[in-house]
Amino acid sequence: MTELGALLDDVVDDVDAVFLFSPSGSEYERFAEADVDVVVVAPDNDHDADQFVELPLEFTDVVGRVRFGLEGAHQQELVEDGDEIVCVTQVFAEEMDTVIRVRAREFAHTGVYDLFVNSRAEPSVIRDVFEVAIELGKKGQKGKPVGALFVVGDAGKVMNKSRPLSYNPFEKSHVHVGDPIVNVMLKEFSRLDGAFVISDSGKIVSAYRYLEPSAEGVDIPKGLGARHMAAGAITRDTNSVAIVLSESDGMVRAFKAGELILELDPEEY
Amino acid sequence: MAQVDWPQIVRSVFSQETAFAVSVAILVVGVAVSYVVWRWVHSLLGRVGIPDSVEGTPFERTAQSFGTSTVGIIAQLAALFVYITMAIIALQLAQLLDVQFFWSRLTGYLPRLFIAALAIIVGLIGGDKAKLVVSDRLRSVKLPEAELIPELVKYSVFYIAALVALSQVGVATRALLILLAAYAFGLVLLSGLAFKDLLAAAAAGVYLLLSEPYSIGDEVQIGDHRGIVQEVDIFVTHVESDAEEYIIPNQRVLRNGIVRVRQ
Repeated sequence: MTELGALLDDVVDDVDAVFLFSPSGSEYERFAEADVDVVVVAPDNDHDADQFVELPLEFTDVVGRVRFGLEGAHQQELVEDGDEIVCVTQVFAEEMDTVIRVRAREFAHTGVYDLFVNSRAEPSVIRDVFEVAIELGKKGQKGKPVGALFVVGDAGKVMNKSRPLSYNPFEKSHVHVGDPIVNVMLKEFSRLDGAFVISDSGKIVSAYRYLEPSAEGVDIPKGLGARHMAAGAITRDTNSVAIVLSESDGMVRAFKAGELILELDPEEY
Repeated sequence: MAQVDWPQIVRSVFSQETAFAVSVAILVVGVAVSYVVWRWVHSLLGRVGIPDSVEGTPFERTAQSFGTSTVGIIAQLAALFVYITMAIIALQLAQLLDVQFFWSRLTGYLPRLFIAALAIIVGLIGGDKAKLVVSDRLRSVKLPEAELIPELVKYSVFYIAALVALSQVGVATRALLILLAAYAFGLVLLSGLAFKDLLAAAAAGVYLLLSEPYSIGDEVQIGDHRGIVQEVDIFVTHVESDAEEYIIPNQRVLRNGIVRVRQ
């Protein structure tokens, strides 16, 4: 077994920081005393760690999870370019079972962290919209796949750059995306055409909106439909974020500033 | 008092020896009953979830260091109360002590002593618990001044508990009561002053949210601020123009009136 030990020693040799992904109390305690920088990446800061990156989604995909943690730490200046980092995370089990060594900046900057933290809308609102979209993608409308387009943040401008397709069912309603009733409601309304507009604080401002941004210069991958094109264009024209559930392939995609930032498969959640 | 009367009846019915035997029996029954009370209170408090809710408070920790717990102390108090009552009845029956007046005063006094002890225990725990809750709420506020508020809450609860206990024991508490009234009055007055604007904004905000004279996306002019409405919440309205975002308190919106701009 000495070879295995030596292999592991090579992996963790000479690192600048350790990233713990959703550690349990005892796992965190063990590292808190160590003489290496510890960064906790988790949905909540349960252990009051000094260096903490909030994980808005339970990324099932390990690469996405590590990438989000790295970008978050980089934005908060917890790590520097070229730092050697060891990530300890879980893949199959509930406890730590995986050790990954990466160099900060090895990944191209994708803006996933930026999407959540530096958008106009609050991170929790964006997370809630993601959850609604993933839920909708999993269940669909009566078993059939549905598509949906949520435009989050900068609602005033978005409303000005769009027009109603029909009466707004959310007029004078004061429904927020975090409310428990919303999942059911949006499922019903998802058969309507048009976009949902959600404000910075999470209020659902309108459904049934036909977006009219100028689509000039929007560069999204070929093969995506009109819904994605509208999403890319509205985020280029305003400071909003768009989250799209594709009707054809069932993926959830997020756009910011006219670019595709994040792609998730609802089936994995 | 009926309690004073019925030993006399028992003594007139039975002989001196029988009365003595009965009083011994009452003592024995008293031990049994107080044990049952102890068990009952213990399990009742446990089932209500008291041990979980008092966990971590200084009182509980002190009790733990003496080898008992809050629930244990309360149960023992209740058992002690029952046992002393029984003992007094027995003593009166046996006429071992003839100072009837003293004992009848004590029996009247006993429940109040019990309530006073209970008030102090509940006050100590409640105060610490209130402090924990308030400081938990204020945890995001990283100001040294904010740490004063939980302490203030704690000692306020202690003060009221002490007041209840003292008045139960019969100590004159009028001066302390006046102090409490002054404190409460000051608190209401100051918070009324401090929250005046917030209350006015919230009252206006309720109207704005319910009737929605303007909604998100409308272009409006409020006072000299013109722009697109981005957000309306209970206290403020966010109006954004090309360069600036105005955050206008809702009472100002109502006072100035709203101009809706149509192209």
